[in-house]
Amino acid sequence: MKTPVKALSLIFAGALWIGAVHAADLSDVNEIVERANHAAYYQGEDGRSEVRMVIRDDQGREQLRQFTILRRDVEDGGDQQFYVAFSRPADVRNTVFMVAKHVARDDDRWLYLPGLDLVKRISAGDKRTSFVGSHFFYEDVSGRNPAEDSFELVETTAEHYRLKATPRESQSVEFSEYRLWIDKTTMLPVRIDYFDGGSEPYRRVEALEIEEIQGFPTVVKSRVSDLRGGGATTMEFGFMKYDIGLPDEVFSERSLRTLPRDWLRRPQ
Amino acid sequence: MKRALTALLALSVGLGVDLGAQAATDSGSPEGDAWGGDGWADDAWSDEESAPVLHGFVEAAAGGRLQDDPALSEDKTLAELRSHLEWERSVGSAHYSLKGDLYADGVEDGLQLDLREAVVQLTPVEWLDIQAGQQVSTWGTGDMLFLNDLFPKDWKSFFSGRDETYLKAPAAGIKGSLYADGFSLDLIWTPLFEPDRYIDGERFSYFSPLAGRQMAAPDGVIDADEPDDFPEDGELAARLYGRRGSLEWALYGYRGFWKQPNGLSSGGDPIFPRLDVFGGSLRAPLGGGIANTEIAWYEGADAEGDDPLIPNDQLRWLAGYEHELVPRLTGAMQYYVEWIQDYDELKSGSPALYRPDELRQVVTLRLTWKSMRDNLTLSWFNYWSPTDQDYYLRPSVSYRLDDNWTLSAGANLFGGEQAHTFFGQFEEGSNLWARIRYGF
Repeated sequence: MKTPVKALSLIFAGALWIGAVHAADLSDVNEIVERANHAAYYQGEDGRSEVRMVIRDDQGREQLRQFTILRRDVEDGGDQQFYVAFSRPADVRNTVFMVAKHVARDDDRWLYLPGLDLVKRISAGDKRTSFVGSHFFYEDVSGRNPAEDSFELVETTAEHYRLKATPRESQSVEFSEYRLWIDKTTMLPVRIDYFDGGSEPYRRVEALEIEEIQGFPTVVKSRVSDLRGGGATTMEFGFMKYDIGLPDEVFSERSLRTLPRDWLRRPQ
Repeated sequence: MKRALTALLALSVGLGVDLGAQAATDSGSPEGDAWGGDGWADDAWSDEESAPVLHGFVEAAAGGRLQDDPALSEDKTLAELRSHLEWERSVGSAHYSLKGDLYADGVEDGLQLDLREAVVQLTPVEWLDIQAGQQVSTWGTGDMLFLNDLFPKDWKSFFSGRDETYLKAPAAGIKGSLYADGFSLDLIWTPLFEPDRYIDGERFSYFSPLAGRQMAAPDGVIDADEPDDFPEDGELAARLYGRRGSLEWALYGYRGFWKQPNGLSSGGDPIFPRLDVFGGSLRAPLGGGIANTEIAWYEGADAEGDDPLIPNDQLRWLAGYEHELVPRLTGAMQYYVEWIQDYDELKSGSPALYRPDELRQVVTLRLTWKSMRDNLTLSWFNYWSPTDQDYYLRPSVSYRLDDNWTLSAGANLFGGEQAHTFFGQFEEGSNLWARIRYGF
């Protein structure tokens, strides 16, 4: 009995060792943050995905959101463009939200209200407010600029890099720090806990399912939980496709007023 | 309340909307999967919809005056059951869209049909979009103030507490949009002049400088002849615009008529005088907020300013700033001025009593507070004119019960020092309103 167990453990040790050779632990926190930011928000040159959210409040009541999101990197790891067109529920159908995300200055954000044919510009300030009624913030969708926080590598486990982040300007955010669990194989953040001074987190973002799409490990299901007030939003991505060749022109006022249906349509 | 709801449901069923089926798809499976199994809905943007999909809402609305209006016997300012339906379909590269409202109006009695949109969208070449048919158009940077946007407004809806969407009235026209490197050009041709749905004495009374008192239905209804010669009485609106970095710029032009009958014919009948407008605007982020400014030159038919029957030329200017004050509370202010040209000539030609000031200044303030993940919205908007010494306050609250039901209530409060000023004349029209809507 003893020998097979020993043999098995040797094989495991060997596998771990081989794994370690393939991905030596990173020790530079900035490199970890950069790679995690890239894995979470910059896979491929661009992408299209359908998204649906279930928003559950503290009393278990549910609301739904469904939209299609287009993303294009202006510069890998730098400026990005986002285009979000809503299909459900009825009161936001055909409403469009567009972001020109800038690393060096405030993002530009627009909202198109189809009933009024109105292109409204939204100020950059309120990034940490509810994204279309969900527990996600605007910033969770387009990504928080890593330069706004300072990071510290707390622990390297077998599976994760555990990081602690503190905001450089604490007045601009509702948290005092957040902790990240970054998966060592995919470099995707799989859990983020937000703290506001106490020892218990009040908010958690989790990756629930990760799939490989066109070779890119991709979060296809995630959840934000309000740990204090109760309630959570689950977000699912479907029909995701990278590198579809989105042109710059799609992210313009033209697309706000006239939906770019050729790009929004589900790829065959 | 119960009766209204029953009537609302009856109305929607009568229009072929099956609320029951809608509710069944939304309620989900017993496992708590709100989407009812794993299946994603049909491609929302597909050419081929499995069946014609109807969206829209049904709504019951009521509103009433806060005081008697001696000029109007009707106390109600809003009483309606409304059904709004939307349908759209793509065939090849053409996209068809229909939006319409059918409502039973208890104030201006009768069943009303309002075709909000009936358009076909085409992209004949890559750099050109054409949108032809009944449509709502909006441009310019003002918030509830319009300088270069001379598309029709529905002030009756705005004053009575209908959804803000209804402030913009549709018009039948053809819109061509050209896209070039660095700039775009919109041209909108409205072959037949479409005026504002202005305050004409129905629902709200208005001050008549001729009569020197408030006028209203039935005798005081303004019934102005609209310019209707084709094609010279059509309207043409143009906008050349672009963006440099974060700065949005636009130049505007308009040829048409004043959108309200603010002139008089030699026979003393209200008319829509000729109007050309030229202007420009800028909008950009500034200090964490959004700043905007817009200017417009209103060139009327009275170049010398000495014709007392039609309005003089005007210069209009607007500056605004919006900023988040604290999380979820946004504040916005605008300063707006109308400067009447050739004022001395105007003075010599019209009696002093009800003459507008040379400068009419307006300050607006908007506060929007969103809570409960946007399900509850408290909103405040006001116009206040230090020169006219009058105001118009628009507080409202809206609560989204779920993805279908929305409750909202608010007030339209007018007041002023004098009876004849822009907002002051509607003091007796001050009202409270409430609405309940089921969206699908």
